[in-house]
Amino acid sequence: MILNADHPWVLVLLPLAVLPWLRSPHRRTAIGSIAVVPADRLSAWVRLGLRIAGMLAIALIILALSGPYHGGRLVSRIGTGAQLVLLLDRSGSMSDTFAGRTPEGAEESKASATKRLLRDFIGRRPHDLFGVAAFSTAPMLVLPLTDHQDAVLAAVNASDRRGLNFTNIARGLGMALSMFAADRPDEHHVILLVSDGGAVIDPHVQDQLRALFARYRADLYFLFLRTAGSKGLFDEPGPDENTPQAMPEHFLHRYFQTLGVPYHAFQAESPGQVEEAIRQIDALERYPITYTEHLPRRDLTGWAYALACPPLLLLLAAKLMEARVRVRPAATRPDRRVAA
Amino acid sequence: MTADIHYRPRGAVTGLRVGAHPSRQVGGMGTFRDLVPFAAHPDARRIDVRATALDPFDTTMVRRLRQRASIDVYALVDLSASLRYQGNAAKAALVGELCAALARSATRIGDRFGLIGCDAILRLDCFLPATARRGVAADVEMLLEPSRWVGAGAEGLLEAAPYLAGARKMVFLVSDFLLPLDLLRRVFESLALHDIVPVIIRDSTEGADLPEWGLLDLADLESGARRLVFMRPALKRRWLAEDAARQTALRQLAGQYGRTPVVVTDRLDLDDFSRGLLEA
Repeated sequence: MILNADHPWVLVLLPLAVLPWLRSPHRRTAIGSIAVVPADRLSAWVRLGLRIAGMLAIALIILALSGPYHGGRLVSRIGTGAQLVLLLDRSGSMSDTFAGRTPEGAEESKASATKRLLRDFIGRRPHDLFGVAAFSTAPMLVLPLTDHQDAVLAAVNASDRRGLNFTNIARGLGMALSMFAADRPDEHHVILLVSDGGAVIDPHVQDQLRALFARYRADLYFLFLRTAGSKGLFDEPGPDENTPQAMPEHFLHRYFQTLGVPYHAFQAESPGQVEEAIRQIDALERYPITYTEHLPRRDLTGWAYALACPPLLLLLAAKLMEARVRVRPAATRPDRRVAA
Repeated sequence: MTADIHYRPRGAVTGLRVGAHPSRQVGGMGTFRDLVPFAAHPDARRIDVRATALDPFDTTMVRRLRQRASIDVYALVDLSASLRYQGNAAKAALVGELCAALARSATRIGDRFGLIGCDAILRLDCFLPATARRGVAADVEMLLEPSRWVGAGAEGLLEAAPYLAGARKMVFLVSDFLLPLDLLRRVFESLALHDIVPVIIRDSTEGADLPEWGLLDLADLESGARRLVFMRPALKRRWLAEDAARQTALRQLAGQYGRTPVVVTDRLDLDDFSRGLLEA
């Protein structure tokens, strides 16, 4: 059993427990000479008992104030999984259906479908660390890497709100990468980029991103939600549209291939395909991962207070039992002249 | 007019100064003692005409009278802090009141009054040589104000003997007598020449008025030592029995050296005190 305390510095006060041996809490009754008091064994025991009670009460209250507990360790365990950052596109088109319309009736928008499928995905990977970032015009840090699934689910739940109409993938990727630790080769980093449109990345920024990827070594999964009628990732450009501006998705795909990290692209045109893609990702990202688990701890504060209670009651009883030498008012004193 | 304390020294007073107490001194004033021939006591003022006329050998007879003399009265006061006790009355105030009354009573009948205060040493700041001055009572009151009681111990009482050298004096030993009996015996021995009157200042809260039940955290006025006592009827009985035994031992000890103690409890009644002196 390992005892521990929330505020160990409070224990500095523990020497106060000797106070009952130095000072008396009782009302002082002056007496001419203590030598006239008969020796009394019971009084000596009461004296000792009250001092010990005072000492216990002080010590236990200080102990209780320090917030003691036992157990409650962090345990490092090895499981399978990865550190995974979900980088979600929040641009306005994500609120449309795969057909490129505003959802009506039972139709599901791209964002809602993604949300639903990601929730399942998260639920299947209990030991992963998830982070969530979103981007439209500017990147938003939604949730740093954490093992609290509730928080991750809540962050994903909030991801289908309407966003702005611009897609700034480069800065989103930068933010996603910045969530990882650069100096941990034992960790496996994954970025799951969910977007329904490409964007042109400035060549200058391209180099910066490449350097960042080299530094953080993150696998990149690009889940492209293709809207009906738009250009796909894998479509070869025709001769007159061979520019990033004309086919941003394709050129993005080509750029990602040159990053030098494991890169997989999935193109989904319906919720079913999204599910298939996510299932593949789930299967691919199985690496040993060190995760920490909180063992529940037992709070002993209540016990300390409870144990301090009987000595306190004893002291209270002693205080209430204090006697006082009663001084008679002058009028009631026997007048010895009359008596004599 | 406040009452006086009436005291009578034991035995004949040896002093030469005329005063109020019977003495061995033969003189021209006082009560009749005997008739002696004029040659033996040539005091022409006291020639007894009747005795001279009746004398078969025609010897001139002179009346000799018992001269009344004065005595020095000293109050030897224990200035230890235990007399700061405050119960039904403040003991220190009682002592001051008593000594002032003694000083007044003594000087009124022509005796001289002196004061010696002692704690662990003889306290020269509280020493007043015997004087017949009428205002001495006021001085005594000033000297015995309650702030004087600060010392611990009463060994200074042993140093008082040299200050009391000479003729037999009347010494009121005023204390609460919460002293070791051994020390008291030595004090009595050192003062054995004198007429010692122990005056015990007591308070009923130290004995009969103690609570029957409860916790008392007692603090010694001299040493400051604390002791928690769980009072209950059995302990109170034992306490009172021990106290009574101690008082008996005190009476026996004092009796061996002259007088039994006079006890002042809670209040000072001068008539009562005078009666106690006569009984002592």
